[in-house]
Amino acid sequence: MAQSENPGREAILSRIRTALTKPATSHPAKTTGDIFFPIGDALERFQKECGTNNTECLLTDSLSASTAAIAEIISALPSGPIFLQDAPILRRLAPILVSDRKVQWSTEGLPAEESQAAITLAETLVAATGSVFASAACGGRGAAVVAPTHIVLAFTDQLVPDLEAAFARLYQNGAPQKNSMLVLITGSSRTADIEKILVMGAHGPRRFVVALSPRAE
Amino acid sequence: MTTAAQDFLRSAAEKSANLTHRHILRKGIDTYNSAVTRGLSRFMNWEAARQKCHEIKFETINHLDRYLLEFEQHVKERGGHVFWAQNGEDARKYIADLAKRHNVRTIVKSKSMVTEEIHLAAALEAQDIKVFETDLGEFIVQLRGEPPYHILTPAMHLTRDDIAALFKEKLGDVDTNDPGELVAAARRALRKAFFSAEMGITGANFLVAESGMIAITTNEGNADLGVSLPKIHVAVAGIEKVIPRMQDLALFWPMVATSGTGQPISCYNTLIGGPRAPNEFAGPEEFHVVLLDNGRTDLLADPEQRDVLHCIRCGACLNVCPVYRTIGGHTYGTTYSGPIGSVLTPHLRGIHEFNHLSYASSLCGACTDVCPVKIDLHHHLLHNRRNAVTAHERPGSEGSEFKMFRWVMQSSARLAASGAIGRMTMRAIYALGLAGTFFDPTRKWTKMHAAPKIPRESFRAQWKHAQVEKK
Repeated sequence: MAQSENPGREAILSRIRTALTKPATSHPAKTTGDIFFPIGDALERFQKECGTNNTECLLTDSLSASTAAIAEIISALPSGPIFLQDAPILRRLAPILVSDRKVQWSTEGLPAEESQAAITLAETLVAATGSVFASAACGGRGAAVVAPTHIVLAFTDQLVPDLEAAFARLYQNGAPQKNSMLVLITGSSRTADIEKILVMGAHGPRRFVVALSPRAE
Repeated sequence: MTTAAQDFLRSAAEKSANLTHRHILRKGIDTYNSAVTRGLSRFMNWEAARQKCHEIKFETINHLDRYLLEFEQHVKERGGHVFWAQNGEDARKYIADLAKRHNVRTIVKSKSMVTEEIHLAAALEAQDIKVFETDLGEFIVQLRGEPPYHILTPAMHLTRDDIAALFKEKLGDVDTNDPGELVAAARRALRKAFFSAEMGITGANFLVAESGMIAITTNEGNADLGVSLPKIHVAVAGIEKVIPRMQDLALFWPMVATSGTGQPISCYNTLIGGPRAPNEFAGPEEFHVVLLDNGRTDLLADPEQRDVLHCIRCGACLNVCPVYRTIGGHTYGTTYSGPIGSVLTPHLRGIHEFNHLSYASSLCGACTDVCPVKIDLHHHLLHNRRNAVTAHERPGSEGSEFKMFRWVMQSSARLAASGAIGRMTMRAIYALGLAGTFFDPTRKWTKMHAAPKIPRESFRAQWKHAQVEKK
């Protein structure tokens, strides 16, 4: 937008600069000491946190076991298409994961309203909060919230102790530059807006599953 | 007294006498309190966390121009648009024109206090655009034609029966008071809106300068649908929402969740940095950020109260406030209620109309104690009181009364004499049967409280006698 179309820009910046010529009357002291408890075993912590935030963490010993676990979940779902992130590994595993059900790939656009599940990958897993960090590359916008079940195929080498480490790794991977979106998912969608009573599956998935295994077969 | 002050007093009297209302409110806040106690135990050092948040916000607010320009530059690099709105009218016009240009008929909106502040939904609906509030609590109060009751829990004042009756009347396809069924009914109604809307409007909890991304936090996932399905995404945010780095969210996300609901972290913490990128297959074609001033630069110009702009709108100060807990959110008659609202509103909407809110406080300081960014809220209420006096916004009689009070308090003899006169007068009033009448100076207090017994002698005399007896 041309600046002439937005006279507010210069007016606001000028007001800010004038306001800041007067220094603040009180200054904060420097923070001392650690804020969070140290994370011991990241995998153990991740599982524990998933247990409290309503994430189903399926820890398996191999990719094929994770694939079988996901396939079992999918086979029990009502009829309807399954949305899959268009990634080489999921292309390869799709016949096992979804059997003969209708598949919609993320490269075909937004998940369909009638999707029964979305299967995606993750950028990192955060042990401290039992969260999955995903980006637009993990199935695109809507992948995490349209279908009533969201399943993430993840690997133990994606585990990081805390959010700070997760952001650091995203930067190494260049994710914030490559993608238009990042989302930290912690459990399934919920609300407590009626009498503070917790109800799962408000707008997004009622069920959030992380199938976790070592990367190597 | 202004109309706003009269309305406030009337509503406060009604709400504080309504025991059902107070019971609902207490239940909601008690549930919150137990969750927060659990949440705080997850921090090794909560005080250090508050201090760190305060430091980060202090750094940003005191270099606000630099961080806003950095944010703007990065949004533009990704193909987004940034509009600087000096006031609500600028923001409403920009968004309404954008909607018109794209022939928008339906908008899905996620919860945002700043859009409440500028009455955005009403302005868009006046142009025949259907606006759906998609946060469940907001959806409920929208159906009732009410403003949100609480920054974080908009329908805190309603029971499940109230909501069941509302849904039966407005949605039609549900006849139960089961919270799960009620949520499912709202989900069904709003899914249709999500898939038909051409525009999604969100607020922003934070604006990250170094990446040009906006951060939105929800538990329901409604904002994620709103930034994914419609072809245009508009985010509206106050200019004070900017933070320098992505890494800062590693602290702010847990802080806002713990202070807001007691959760370790909310379910969906989403960062949006632009429209759909060239290598992406879904998402909006256009991304607009509206940066709103609307009085914030005036607050910035006040070095004493500048830190009010540090607020992250977690709602913690409302929940601990003995006044809020008694009179509830709607009584304030403002977008921002509770202690933060009482501090902020005179700056945003004028000290003439809203200085009475600075007195809606017991000055207990509970708000300051819980604030995750360490805003000295109760002292700011005192600052606002002083500013109201300096601006001659208080009744002249108040000044004379305080002058008299000071004169009495400056001399122990005068204090003793005024005590003696007071006791004598009150005894006479009681003896003549004038208690509670025009002649009773304590009538305002005794209208709602049991009258204290008039002591036979002053505290000082009683103390002296007690010392003599001890010996």
